Amino acid sequence: MPRVFITGLGFVTSIGNDAASVASSLREMRHGFETYPPFQKPDVACKVIGTVKGFSTDSVDPEDWTFPAAYTIKRETIRSMAPHGLYAHCAMIQALADARLGEADISNRDTGLFAASGGSPMLTHYHHKRMLDLGPARCSPLGIVASIVGTLNFNLVASFKIQGASCGFSSACASSAHALAYGFEEISRGRQKRMFIAAGEDGNRDAILPFAGMRTLSLQTDPALASRPFDVARDGFVGTGGGGVVVLESEKEVERRGVKPYCELVGWGQASDGYNVAISHPDGTGLRTAMENALSATGISAAEVDYVNAHATSTLIGDISEARALRAVFGEMGIRPAISSTKALTGHALSLAGAMETGFCALLMREGFTPGSAHITQLDPACEGLNVIRETVKVAPRVILKNSSGFGGANVALLLRRP
Amino acid sequence: MPDQVQPNAGGNKALTLATKPFAPDDEAALREALKRCSPSTFEAAVQFRKTGNADHMPAVVIGVIERFVEPDLRAKLKDADDDLRLIEDLGIDSLTMMEIVILVEDVLQLTINNDELRNLRTVGDVKTFIDCKIRGLPLPRPTKFLPIEHIGAVMPVQPPFLFLNEASVSSTGANGKYKITGQEFFLQGHFKDNPVMPASIMLEALGQLAVLFLIEGAPTEPGKAIGANTIFFTGCEGVRAHRMCKPGDILTLSIKPKRMKMPLATFEGAIRVGQEKAVIAEDITLTFAYVDAAVAPVAIDGAAQPAPAGDNSANPPLRVAINA
Repeated sequence: MPRVFITGLGFVTSIGNDAASVASSLREMRHGFETYPPFQKPDVACKVIGTVKGFSTDSVDPEDWTFPAAYTIKRETIRSMAPHGLYAHCAMIQALADARLGEADISNRDTGLFAASGGSPMLTHYHHKRMLDLGPARCSPLGIVASIVGTLNFNLVASFKIQGASCGFSSACASSAHALAYGFEEISRGRQKRMFIAAGEDGNRDAILPFAGMRTLSLQTDPALASRPFDVARDGFVGTGGGGVVVLESEKEVERRGVKPYCELVGWGQASDGYNVAISHPDGTGLRTAMENALSATGISAAEVDYVNAHATSTLIGDISEARALRAVFGEMGIRPAISSTKALTGHALSLAGAMETGFCALLMREGFTPGSAHITQLDPACEGLNVIRETVKVAPRVILKNSSGFGGANVALLLRRP
Repeated sequence: MPDQVQPNAGGNKALTLATKPFAPDDEAALREALKRCSPSTFEAAVQFRKTGNADHMPAVVIGVIERFVEPDLRAKLKDADDDLRLIEDLGIDSLTMMEIVILVEDVLQLTINNDELRNLRTVGDVKTFIDCKIRGLPLPRPTKFLPIEHIGAVMPVQPPFLFLNEASVSSTGANGKYKITGQEFFLQGHFKDNPVMPASIMLEALGQLAVLFLIEGAPTEPGKAIGANTIFFTGCEGVRAHRMCKPGDILTLSIKPKRMKMPLATFEGAIRVGQEKAVIAEDITLTFAYVDAAVAPVAIDGAAQPAPAGDNSANPPLRVAINA
């Protein structure tokens, strides 16, 4: 069975728009939160988000957007994008350069692209309202492909002339972990030699504020206190957007091209809670099974895992579910891998989270550190027995477990190993 | 079948501009809609909306097209003639064409049906179309692709002296093809043991294409048609032969009307073989006369004929491929 390696990364995130700045933010535990102007209204209780810097995508007209001068994007390419399409497009350009891939390596029948995004609520609303107000004849011909779930794969596959497998994944906050997992399958089953896993979220008012209806957003006004997974005083997640791309390649391709991979994606597992449409199982049963499935699928023992990059989003119920699942897999056997949630720095990137955080894991393996879980003043007693690290340590993990959970109780666990 | 072009319905009503006077609010909306167009486009649009004068229309339409063309191709549009092709020359795809249409509709306050747009292939087609729309004139006939059966049915010239295998006729000119088979009777003597297509016959072929244009494409007076049997050769000037043409060569012929005033029509013509110039004629003048439309040969509806395979023009820009 062909082994699968991560050979390229691209980031547009609240904590940096390239691998170097992301790595330094993670190492130094610098968060990316700001007071968000559209939320500074009396009827909006939530005030803070993880902002994407250097981009302006507030307009519903992509030709109004601004982005770093390093990227040039033609009108015919940008016209059908959602804000997160632009972020992921830029991340893709970074990842291609990082993996040293030329045009012939990108556009061929052995190279595919899987994507994950929640679509663009802002553009869906704009185009739908235009249709209702002005009639269908005045609707933009590109309104649908710019806004529906799937917009990210449509746009990237066309822009980068992808000829292999392509598909979009939709399991809410587990979406891009699923995309990585099935991208792994494409390569390990010998169906593709290379897969781009792209993910994005608009991370703006229309994408984040609807979560206020569930009362899951942190109401903290201090950007430095808003996101604190595993802390006893946490009060909800902080939303964020951006784009991330992970390049997966078969061992043969890695050898043929003579590139140095970040790490191996060894395998994965998944399981569902079968419990509630939006609330995770209090004992984290689905996530526990997902982790156990990942370990047994790869033959890696729990004791080999040095670091868990947790899903923990800083919600009251979710963090406890994960803590219990982790204790069931590791704690009961007396195994204490380092655990942290990088969402304390980035915020919760929803569909983007799994791919972005897997990218972080690959990066920190190469850079040689394990990031601390930021903003913990008092650890939730529910985490007792778990090694939640509060400061960055200069140890490069050899094996990392990456958790992701989404609505409907979907859980995915990915296993990464340093070469 | 999407490859077929629809004949235009005749009843195109003149546009009645909104009775509401052009208000400052309208000007602000117009400025916003045209914010990525040149200032002169905006000015022309304001003038059009204030006065309804169709003379301002081409500037608006060209300004809108320019806004949607990639910057490196805009130079082409600057000194474009009406033959500039939307797809091949300007890189405008069917989705971009829709964007252009929606903005033009918005700015000129008119409604355009998808069916009406199928035949717009060149900048000239677009200008003519919008002009007809605004003035309430009938829409021009779309480019017609005529197979040999149709050509034989309408032409006064017949085999073995007909030198067109296929042709397309639009309101601005005609193109045709003829393959030299080697079986042409005159090649037995022109020349001895060395068959070469006579230059005079090539000029004849261009003349025949001009005849076909007069019958199928030329504008006429209401209720009148150009009688096929009234067309004769009167003269030619500036004829030069550049290349010997022999059996196996495919002649690509084109003619364009330069002047047309009863009873004379003057054309320029050219023949190529592949990319090579074969014959140029600066002026070919024919004489013609009008007859009552009912007396004219009944034209088979060329528009219903499928376009020749492999011809780019068979893909009009407004075919939106939905892959939903």
